[in-house]
Amino acid sequence: MKSILELMKERRIYFDGGTGTVLQEMGLPAGQSPELWNITDPEKIISLHNRYFDAGANIVKTNTFGLNRDKFDNYAELIRAGIKCARTAAEGRKDAYVAFDMGPTGQLLEPLGQMKFEEAVSVFADNIRIASQCGVDLILIETMNDSYETKAAVTAAKENCDLPIFVTNVYDESGKLMTGANPAAMIAMLEGLGVDALGMNCSLGPDIMLKIIGEFEKYSSLPVIVNPNAGLPEVHDGKTVYNIGADEFSDYMVKIAQGGGIILGGCCGTTPDFIKKTIEKTKALPYKVPHKKDYTCVSSYTHAVFVDEEPILIGERINPTGKPKLKEALRSGNLNYILNEGIKQTDAGAHILDVNVGLPEIDETKMMLECVSSLQAVTDVPLQIDSTNFDTLEKAMRIYNGKPLVNSVNGTEESMSHVFPSIQKYGGAVIALTIDEKGIPDTARGRADIAKKIIERASEYGIDKKDIIVDPLALTISSNPESAVVTLESIKLIRALGVKTSLGISNISFGLPQRNIITSTFYSNALQCGLNCAIMNPFSPDMMNVYHAYRALNMLDIGCVDYIEYASADKGNTQKHTETKSEETLHSSIVRGLKDSAVIQTENLLKDTEPLDIINNHIIPALNEIGTAFEQKKAYLPQLLMSADAATAAFDSVKKKIPSEQSDKSKAIVLATVKGDIHDIGKNIVKVLMESYGFTVYDLGRDVPPEVIRDCAVEHDCKLVGLSALMTTTVPSMAETIKLLNETDRSIKVMVGGAVLNQEYADMIGADFYGADAMDSVRYAENFYSEYQKIV
Amino acid sequence: MKNSDVFMITARTEDVEINKNELAQRLNVKRGYTNNTIESCKNSLMKIISYKCAYIRAPVDMSRENICDFGFMRIDSKNLYKNLSGCNEAFVMALTAGMAVDRELAKLKITSQAEHFITDAIASAAIDSFCDYASGIMKNGLDCAVRFSPGYGDLSLTFQKPLLERLNAQSLLGISLSPSYLMTPMKSITAIMGIKNEKHT
Repeated sequence: MKSILELMKERRIYFDGGTGTVLQEMGLPAGQSPELWNITDPEKIISLHNRYFDAGANIVKTNTFGLNRDKFDNYAELIRAGIKCARTAAEGRKDAYVAFDMGPTGQLLEPLGQMKFEEAVSVFADNIRIASQCGVDLILIETMNDSYETKAAVTAAKENCDLPIFVTNVYDESGKLMTGANPAAMIAMLEGLGVDALGMNCSLGPDIMLKIIGEFEKYSSLPVIVNPNAGLPEVHDGKTVYNIGADEFSDYMVKIAQGGGIILGGCCGTTPDFIKKTIEKTKALPYKVPHKKDYTCVSSYTHAVFVDEEPILIGERINPTGKPKLKEALRSGNLNYILNEGIKQTDAGAHILDVNVGLPEIDETKMMLECVSSLQAVTDVPLQIDSTNFDTLEKAMRIYNGKPLVNSVNGTEESMSHVFPSIQKYGGAVIALTIDEKGIPDTARGRADIAKKIIERASEYGIDKKDIIVDPLALTISSNPESAVVTLESIKLIRALGVKTSLGISNISFGLPQRNIITSTFYSNALQCGLNCAIMNPFSPDMMNVYHAYRALNMLDIGCVDYIEYASADKGNTQKHTETKSEETLHSSIVRGLKDSAVIQTENLLKDTEPLDIINNHIIPALNEIGTAFEQKKAYLPQLLMSADAATAAFDSVKKKIPSEQSDKSKAIVLATVKGDIHDIGKNIVKVLMESYGFTVYDLGRDVPPEVIRDCAVEHDCKLVGLSALMTTTVPSMAETIKLLNETDRSIKVMVGGAVLNQEYADMIGADFYGADAMDSVRYAENFYSEYQKIV
Repeated sequence: MKNSDVFMITARTEDVEINKNELAQRLNVKRGYTNNTIESCKNSLMKIISYKCAYIRAPVDMSRENICDFGFMRIDSKNLYKNLSGCNEAFVMALTAGMAVDRELAKLKITSQAEHFITDAIASAAIDSFCDYASGIMKNGLDCAVRFSPGYGDLSLTFQKPLLERLNAQSLLGISLSPSYLMTPMKSITAIMGIKNEKHT
């Protein structure tokens, strides 16, 4: 028998339809797992598969959708039995294939969920190993509504078998996965990972999928699978039925086939009749495999960024070179600072963010993985993974949610032989530097020759030249007078090779005064020569001016809509700043909760006031004023928090002026919502206030086990711990934590708060202090440390 | 398992009016109080919130004291038993405001604690209000008991697992459950709403 991949080259092939619908007709009670029948009623499962084969389906899905080690103790046995049922039905039939069906784990992955990426890979890998031993023809990863979990499943499949891999995701009516990805983003990631077919299933009916099929047709170089539900369920005469019947369904499938659907089948609510009618109506339609699409793109977990006519801005701010504050943040593991840089660059208009965390004194790989994962929780632009360490690159590409941009490979054999295998495995576009063992060529021709060499070597790994973005390297004109001319000429020659280009723009002006003048003019020239991507500072008005002007001048911004918005927004900001300057003081800015104004006022004060005097004479009194107003119920909680925000911003500005060894690390507190409790609003409010009063806060989050709290207090030698609980059921967990802390170190004081607590409870569980509200807690902590410092 | 008898309710943001009392309570302000930050947080949130509800109408066997047997889950709970007295059917539902809200909150946690608190409060009030909206559609004139959720009284959070599985909540709503029974997206609700038996005359 031909392999499924060979058959797909010749003719349209068909999946089966729904499992649950047919099995419920056979007597499966609603809510019972159908997989159990693999062992108890195998003849019924075999009959299900036979009915689909008889209807003309080429591929049946094994009845293993919900099986994994976390859900069923005997999952392995159930998988084997399920595959045996399908194999029995396929026995002796022509063009009949068995797909091992694998659904989601049921848990969401980090950073928004709790499951670790590698844990998910491991769960799927167990299933794949069992399935590949039992003899299936392909792996079907289906009903996936999260791109990251999809990547974990595909990674597991690739690492544990050589079978063809098909993937279908669940898109909603807006054409996106539950976690945000659109088809272009999924296609970019899945093609990069090397799957054999991809598409959509479940969720909605064929009518909705028909609206999305165009996106697949446009972007996918791989065959597209369409397995819709039979519309939506409705109740008729007390029975649940789907609102699209077999005739209507198959009519839609004709249109889907004409629109680019290659592999057709059904999902919930469809039966053998649906498949039979679909085959009858579509088998004679002209069949052509999709042509290879030739576009350059990278993706995040929501969207793809295409490198084409539009100039692409790659934010350069997450790179410690020449940035002392970022260096400090990396050394102290201050992720918030880095995340903030990411968010600000995205808001400023960066399309992609470069992430480079290389410092000799830190564990670069560990920090890179943390940054990539955390950045992907707070910003949806694709990331450019930037490291000279091959291991860091490889590991970051593995855990990246999407198709990354990799920075970089160069023309040396060492670089190519390390970087290309990772790209081959995980997918990605790569920045290729025109430098090799002999250095950077002086001529444009020499740089283009290295580009050619890199493109050829990449093709040996199956990496297409559309995924190579060449950086011909800009060196400073202060020491290399011909640099700009050669680089610009290189861009033209390299574009003629049919690849895209990128430049680290700002190098050009290194060592010169007023660098922005040179840098932005060079950027403009480079764009004229065909530059695609610029690694640049999106906070630089000069650079953004060039970007917006170029788009307006080159018909990329028809009607100058974006330009007008950009130009007017800029004007507005200037006005706002002068306005706040004339009216506000730092004190009033904090009391009124005006963050921007507080920063401006602080910077003004810093010109002639000692940093510590600003804290003690301006920030703290203002906070006390709003705090008292809150206690007297003259101000509301949102106002108090806005003031805290403003105070924190002011505090941050002041801290820049205090040498780091002098900064006050003595006032610290560990905060946590105790184990079993998921409510963290109260704790978060206390945290904000504590920070605005200058405390260092170790926030452990919610549902935190006692040992974790103890370990944190011990590690940081922190003598004050704040615990929060909202549910009565978790008060014992709070008591347990206090007990453990007392046993560890009698000098640790524990303050507690939360909706279920009162003084009596607090006394009962041995707390040192009960805080009725956030201000109360802050006052206690302030007192504690002023007393404590007298003793120490 | 993908059950084929689950119904969906979705709503546009403008269709769901956020309950003012609920909002005031969660923001810790007087009813009707607002300011620029609250309004701008509300506007941003309304652009990304995506209401979805999945539900079934299920029979419940109440013949053994303090046990509510739905077939797919058997709940031993005094409080729920009392809540469902006089019912032998119930709506079992799961609702969510969507994953984009979690991402927005994660971002605000970095950029502004005040906006984080305010947005969190509005999102909580919003999903509760959507729950009222969806319940109204389910009821459609039926006399129903007060909604009851896992975590209330003695009804254990662990029942979120069979409930969410029964409703295909992962594929239909994108709700997943951690080992300690936390739902993601954070602004999600599971609930049971008993249908009172029709009075015989």
